[in-house]
Parts: sequence; structure tokens; C-alpha cells
Amino acid sequence: MALQGLEIRRSSASLRGGGTGLRKMPTVAKYIDTTICIGCKACEVACQEWNDLPNAHTAQTGTYQTLPTMTANFWNLIKFREVETPEHGLQWLMRKDQCMHCDEPGCLEACPAPGAIVQYVNGIVDVDPERCIGCGLCETGCPFDVPRYAQGTNKMAKCTLCVDRVSVGLEPACIKACPTGCLQFGDKASLVELAKHRVDQLQADGFAQAAYYDPQGVGGTGVITVLKHGDHPEWYGLPKDPTVPTTVSVWKRVIHPIGFIAMAAAVFGAIGHFMAFGPKKPKDTSKESGGEV
Amino acid sequence: MSELRIPGATPVAGPTAIQVARGREDVVIGDEIVRHRLASRVIHWVVAVFFFGSLFTGMPIWSPVFGWMAYFFGGLSVCRWLHAWLGVAFAAAAAVMAVVWLKDMVFDKADRKFNVLEYLKFADREDPEVGKYNAGQKFFFWMVVVTGVVILLSGIVLWWPTYFNQALRSISILLHDICFIGFFAAIVAHIYLGTAAEPGTFHSMTRGTVTRAWAKLHHPRWYREVTGDRR
Repeated sequence: MALQGLEIRRSSASLRGGGTGLRKMPTVAKYIDTTICIGCKACEVACQEWNDLPNAHTAQTGTYQTLPTMTANFWNLIKFREVETPEHGLQWLMRKDQCMHCDEPGCLEACPAPGAIVQYVNGIVDVDPERCIGCGLCETGCPFDVPRYAQGTNKMAKCTLCVDRVSVGLEPACIKACPTGCLQFGDKASLVELAKHRVDQLQADGFAQAAYYDPQGVGGTGVITVLKHGDHPEWYGLPKDPTVPTTVSVWKRVIHPIGFIAMAAAVFGAIGHFMAFGPKKPKDTSKESGGEV
Repeated sequence: MSELRIPGATPVAGPTAIQVARGREDVVIGDEIVRHRLASRVIHWVVAVFFFGSLFTGMPIWSPVFGWMAYFFGGLSVCRWLHAWLGVAFAAAAAVMAVVWLKDMVFDKADRKFNVLEYLKFADREDPEVGKYNAGQKFFFWMVVVTGVVILLSGIVLWWPTYFNQALRSISILLHDICFIGFFAAIVAHIYLGTAAEPGTFHSMTRGTVTRAWAKLHHPRWYREVTGDRR
């Protein structure tokens, strides 16, 4: 939920964000190195623990994966995928999936409830359940299929990047729990440097296509993912070139202004017409039957 | 036609001729012609109530500029589900209305000559072949039918977004918006033409009747048909 301690950079259904823009803060990010993830799921447990989420009923999907997909009570899910290609043989790929904390969040753009989705000055995208109306439009705006809705209340829930911890100087719970150093937290600029360094190492080790995933179609994300098959993010369940859906942008940036103009034109057109052409009434008004309004 | 009253006498009990006639359409009683029987008027206003309910619960969701409207219904969260149910009620009522008025709304030969820009000049002379509804009214009726179907279908997708795929949801957002804007502009025109612009019209939707002069001016062929007056 929206914190008082952090200024807001952007706010849903608002012309401007809530912040004064006076306090500067570096953009924070989460670094995920899928090449040294061992799939231990410590991050999943830590997330459930810290956010006080109830136990999930696990589902067997034929892999080690805890659940088929994230839920409103399960915000951090390691995706286990098996990809077989002639070139690489069988690949067992695992990636921690959660909200990507986009720099230009499609969920925030699509949200109609003022302040229900906010982006703090440090780049964390958060949802305020108090203001969320449970309409589900954020899901349409999200290119990563992240938002989930709580049963009963229909309120959206997702990873908060542990904004409650981050705002008091702690690292997110998942990062804290990671035993291999696959997860790191810090300001985005230095983590991008780390990712570049790691990509160089991987390329030197024979993974020529290694790359880090920080898609620019959504302005970059608050989650930087190092992939040894950087040319195939879809093998990890990541969209290749994610953008906010065109219809959402067209809707908010084109249809809305046109709508306001059309509505005003209709009202003022009617008034103008009345002044120019006046009422049309029968010549013999003495026999008018109470039609005056 | 009013009741015959003799000073000092008890008014005659029982319905007057016009009160009886208001149950049936296209009946002439003296100087008045019944244009909309009670059932037509009731369904019109039921549709209107659900329309405005849907409109005013939808507008605060459409844009925060209209956020203040939400407070009349108990807030945006209430609007989120009330809008959906009112929308369904509107669609159901509009479907009944469409059936009731369908036979009057079929386009005929005279409608081809209708020019909306000429019409809006409010010249005294109307095309003598204009029947009970002119082409503009028929167009409005069909616009409500088509837009109503599209706004209902796209609304169902937006109501339960998790059951539909991204492509369908995205296109529904646009269609729902375009239909809303169309509806808004059309309803402004409809209200304006039905009240201030054409005196006598609103009365036909409240008490059901119009004057002979009104009918002759706006719907000459219908006037000839119901009165038998050949002039």
C-alpha cells in the first residue's frame, strides 16, 4: 500500500504524480542471474513470510514449479522450463518471476482509480488496495501478465519490491534469502554494470548469446535478468519485446481527448443550434397542448 | 379534451375519453392525437433511467475528471459493480424497447430524401411524406440497437477480464469507449430535439399526446393517416 515515507513519481488516473519532485532518489532494481539460480525457492518462502501471505496449495505441473502461475497470494514464483533444441540439446531453465516494476508501467496507465497504482520516486510500482476498485484493467495494461486479483474483494495484488523494507533501508525479502548470490538489490545503474560484467563473463565462457533483460519498450524494468540465452527470452517465459499494449495507449492518449472534444461539441452544438435556429413549433401556437418545457 | 364541469355540481366520475385513448396509439380525440401509448412511454423511461445510471456510474471510471459523480453512488468501487449491473439492465430494457418499436422503425422510401443538415435548418416546410418517425429518429433507434449490442458485449469482457485473452480485452476497451462517446453525443442531441428544440415533443413522452398542429408540422404523413385529413 502507498507509503507516506516515499514520494510518488506517478499515480494512476491522475494528471500528475503525488510528489513534489524535490526529494531525489536513485531508481532501485532487483538483479536476477538465472545462470546461478539453483531453484531452491528460498525467495518464494521469504516472500510469503515477509508479506504474511497464506500457504498456497501447490499444484503438480510435471516440473518442480510450485504453482502453474502466480496468484494474488503468491507473488514470487520460480518458473521451471525445459527447452529442447537441436543446437543446445535439453535446457533446464529456471527464472524467478514477479512484477517487473516497469519504468513506464502499463498497469498504471490503464488503471482508472486515482492513486490505486503508484510509482514511487525510486521506481517501485505499488498498488494501494484501499483505492483499487478491482476492475482488472491493469491486467490488460501489463505486458508481463503479473496482476492477480484476490478472491472475494477482487483487489489487485502483486510484488511490492518490499517497498516497506526498502523505504527503511533493508533489501527485499527474496534478496535476503537467496543463498547463491543470484539475487542482488541496489540502485539500478550499478546493477546494470554488474549485469554487463556478468554477461562478459558468460560470453567468455562460451555463451555467445548471453545478455541481460531490461526491455526498453516499457522504459526498462526494475528487474534486470541475466540470461545465458539472451537471444531467446521467451525460453524463460519472458516476452521478447514487451510494450504497453497499443490499444491502452491509444485509448488513454487519443480516444480520451477526442471523447472530451466530442462531448463538449455535442453540448455546445445543441446550445448553438438553439440560438441560431430556435425552436421549431407549429405556426398556430394557441392550440399547443402543454408542450412547453 | 377536459371533463365537462358544471359549477357547483360534482365532477363526473370515471375516465375521460382521452384517458382511455392514452392506452392506444394513433387515436385522435378532438385536438389531441395519442402518439405514445402508456406501455411505450414506460419502456422509454425505464431505458432512460438505466441509461443514465450506467452513464453516471461509468463516467467516473472513464476519467477522473468525472470522479465526483462516483460519490453519488457510494464511491468508485460501488460504481465498478453497479455500472455492470445497470448496463445489463439497460441492455435488457433496450431490447424490449427495440421489439416494441421495431415495426415503426423500418426505413422506407421517404427516408431516402432526408437530409439532416437541411432538417436542422428548422425550415417551416417538412417533407410531406414523413411518417410517424423521420429518418433521423429511425437512425437514432438503429444506432441505439447496434451500439447497445457492441457496448454490452465489450462490457461483458471488461466485467470479467480474467476470463478473456489480452487481445479481446484490449479491443473491448476501445469499442466500449467509442460506443460511450457516440452514445453521449447522440443522447445530447436526442434530449435537445425532444425538449427545447421542438416544443410539444416532450409532452408526447410524458402524457402521450400531441396536438394536431404538432403532428401536421413534424410528421405530415402520419397526421394524414391518423386523422384522415387530406390537406
